[in-house]
Amino acid sequence: MLPESTVNRILELGLSRGAEFAEVFCEESDSSNVELLDRKIDSINNGNSFGVGVRLLLGDNAYYGYSSDASEEALLELTENLAHSLKEGRPGHLHYPEKKPVTDRHPVSIDPSSVPKTERLDLLRQIDAIAREHGDAVRQVRASISEKKRNVLICNSEGLWVEDSRQYSRLGISTIAEKDSGPQAAAESPGVLGGYEFFQGLDVKTLAGNTAASAIRMAEAGYIDGGMMPVVLGNGFGGVIFHEACGHPLETEAIRKNASPFTGKIGEAVAQPLLTAIDDGTMANRWGSLNVDDEGHPPQRTVLIENGILKSYLSDRIGAGQVGVARTGSARRESYKFAPVSRMRNTYIDRGPHSMEEMIASVDFGLYAKKMGGGSVDPATGEFNFAVQEGYAIRKGKIAEPVRGATLIGKGFEVLPLISMIGDDLELAAGMCGASSGWVPTTVGQPTIKIDRILVGGR
Amino acid sequence: MDSQQAIDYVLALARENHLRDVDLLLGREESMTVRVLNGRVEKVDQSTDLGLGIRVVSEGRTGLAYTERLEQTAIEKAVLAARENALLLDPTEVVLNTEIPDVPAPGTLNLFEPELESLAFDDLAAFALEMESTAKKSDKRVTAVPYASVGKSRGSYRVVSTRGMDYTQEQNSVGAYCGALLEENGLRKTGSHHWSARVWDPGQSGKLGRKAVELGAAVLGAEKIAGAAMPIVLDEYCAPQLLGMYLGAFYAEAAQKGQSRLKGRLGEQIAKPELTLTDDPHRKGAQGSRYLDPEGTPTQPLNLIEEGRFTNFLYHVESARKEGRASTGHAGRGFSGGISTRTHNVVLATGAHSLDELCAIPERCLLVTDLEGAAGCNPLSGDISIGVQGFLVEGGKRVHPVDSVTIAGNFFELLKQIEARGNIYQPNLTSTFIPALLVEGLVVSS
Repeated sequence: MLPESTVNRILELGLSRGAEFAEVFCEESDSSNVELLDRKIDSINNGNSFGVGVRLLLGDNAYYGYSSDASEEALLELTENLAHSLKEGRPGHLHYPEKKPVTDRHPVSIDPSSVPKTERLDLLRQIDAIAREHGDAVRQVRASISEKKRNVLICNSEGLWVEDSRQYSRLGISTIAEKDSGPQAAAESPGVLGGYEFFQGLDVKTLAGNTAASAIRMAEAGYIDGGMMPVVLGNGFGGVIFHEACGHPLETEAIRKNASPFTGKIGEAVAQPLLTAIDDGTMANRWGSLNVDDEGHPPQRTVLIENGILKSYLSDRIGAGQVGVARTGSARRESYKFAPVSRMRNTYIDRGPHSMEEMIASVDFGLYAKKMGGGSVDPATGEFNFAVQEGYAIRKGKIAEPVRGATLIGKGFEVLPLISMIGDDLELAAGMCGASSGWVPTTVGQPTIKIDRILVGGR
Repeated sequence: MDSQQAIDYVLALARENHLRDVDLLLGREESMTVRVLNGRVEKVDQSTDLGLGIRVVSEGRTGLAYTERLEQTAIEKAVLAARENALLLDPTEVVLNTEIPDVPAPGTLNLFEPELESLAFDDLAAFALEMESTAKKSDKRVTAVPYASVGKSRGSYRVVSTRGMDYTQEQNSVGAYCGALLEENGLRKTGSHHWSARVWDPGQSGKLGRKAVELGAAVLGAEKIAGAAMPIVLDEYCAPQLLGMYLGAFYAEAAQKGQSRLKGRLGEQIAKPELTLTDDPHRKGAQGSRYLDPEGTPTQPLNLIEEGRFTNFLYHVESARKEGRASTGHAGRGFSGGISTRTHNVVLATGAHSLDELCAIPERCLLVTDLEGAAGCNPLSGDISIGVQGFLVEGGKRVHPVDSVTIAGNFFELLKQIEARGNIYQPNLTSTFIPALLVEGLVVSS
């Protein structure tokens, strides 16, 4: 992707100007998006992205720049500009990079480029038809296939030279249904780190049917009366709350700035003993998995919380150094346009001993949040806010009427100890996570869980 | 190859492949951001983004492709991919504009300030360090200033078509953000504030640091209040943020595709008669200003709501032709995507009241100064359900800060519930000019 001589000159220049560490990240990605909307193939787009990022480190300071002009002249000028900001530092010793093979844990069985585009169009039309079979209440269907192949080269002044290829495949379905009380949408968006075989193996009848049925139920629903109440949180994408409210504050990017309620809490009880949470970058073909992280470090299975005790943070090079922990292979970035920071990969709450029936039966009045929508968090304070995509009231231990417009509000470190029951129905779901190093594919997940009390926003 | 060579090459490929209708968007952005932590420059980001988006229109079908490599092979691959994609697409109503209107020079929109270009790393670093230092010194409850950054950016886009269009627009800005963490009696709050402008003002560094801490300190010790329907005042930062989420309802494309609750309601009274909402693409210095949209349609000020009546949907060429009418010049486009609809600068006229006066109108109200995420806001249904922070106000006096509450309602009902407006807009660069609002009928949950 980039001549060895160019890489070496960039690293030489960075170190000669006083950097302790220099890194080159080169990326070429090809993406393809096909979208159906309003019964028509609405958009087909192909993209090619290419560029080189250069990072210089001196102590705790990072200097990052990138350019889509990969000529040696342009990259040396970029490095020189970055080095201009280094006010101190002494020339360091360069270990010239040596090529190191990467084990591919995430095989691609069917190369997407070998499949005609028309096959994708047929799949999208099939999804549209399935969703519309659910009746006239279905007003609109949007379906899309997104594929992206990222080829990356990561080299650094400590002798690293690794190349990795990452093929992402994702389906999106969003169905809008409308009844007397207005329209509601429901969505599914599974994805893998893998090839076209993913689309061939999908049960689109269930996926498309679920979005239609869910949108219709929500379009018929009334509003929930808000307030503090117990919530049974559905499996799969329900894990987005743990991701946002606990996962982000466990990244060393927040810990190192003393901007996390979990700072200094390793070894302390942060949840009830039945809760174990894991962030695993090694799971085969999972959406958030990696062969190497974006600093070229191997990923690992990191136990974050074990039986309620905080065990580990998620770290990158800078975070590990500043916080004083080992690197977990969690350095990630959206593309060459971002410097890497510690990010989640496949994050989930592990299985527990309870059944969903037990959890529902334990609630006199509360909310069953079957499917969550998006949300956000302030990592410094742990304050979060999430939308419930599909919700039901729980009355006297039974799931009752569907409810719309619910939002869950709280503070992650306060809610975590309130998880009192955990099911055995663990499911994972694909999502995109946005933070300072851009949008990266991450998996969230959990079994069904019960939170004893949480603020539900409604009307 | 340079930008001009890349453009010439696309046009040559179009001729060679007998593609009569091709347009392209060349986007370029350069930025430098300096972040500081604990009295030292911690991170410097320098970037140059460049991308070429190509659209091929063939018998109404549009195919898209883009590349960030301005090299012959990559450009040729993109043109051919766009052509192939056009053949696969279902038919649309898209045509390229063949009449290229004469519009004023984009420079007269005051979106580019040459003086900002001379700002160097040292200027930005000094600003950020002063901002962080002021924030730390201004209150002993500050435990960290995790977010202190300042940056400058310069961006341009050029749209060229085989039908003779060639339009370039350029803008630049500087901006800074300060987020401070405060702690008292085990309670933590973040206070943050930002500034953006086209005039470099080093004096803002101290003001921004102090303001961020003041905002955090003001909500330390926040309490819940009992849930109830009560008047809400959205300050001049929160009002544009909240209302801005629902503007997609005014897009004709959304109505045509069953994604707008305003479908079929043109001419209806949807807001109070005092309310007129305008889209003004020619507002000097505003972020969304432009004379031509990316399809080459001249822009013009347009009322979306006039004295409470819903008067206009926003159109681009395709959505307009579906209804046999002309585009209103509301196409949007980036180099990596296709044509979409966008507003330029949405303007709701200011009213007569200061923020304090607005809060004093009802006997008791919740003043909202911070919105927590947007996940509970559904642009499709208009549902609003969002966590907020702010102050309980009684008799015009702030009684105590409030958190752990949500406000809920519906955008389409809210338009009829705006009782009074503030007399200023928030001062930063923006494309949403909406003052503080006093709103009745929203529900507070806690």
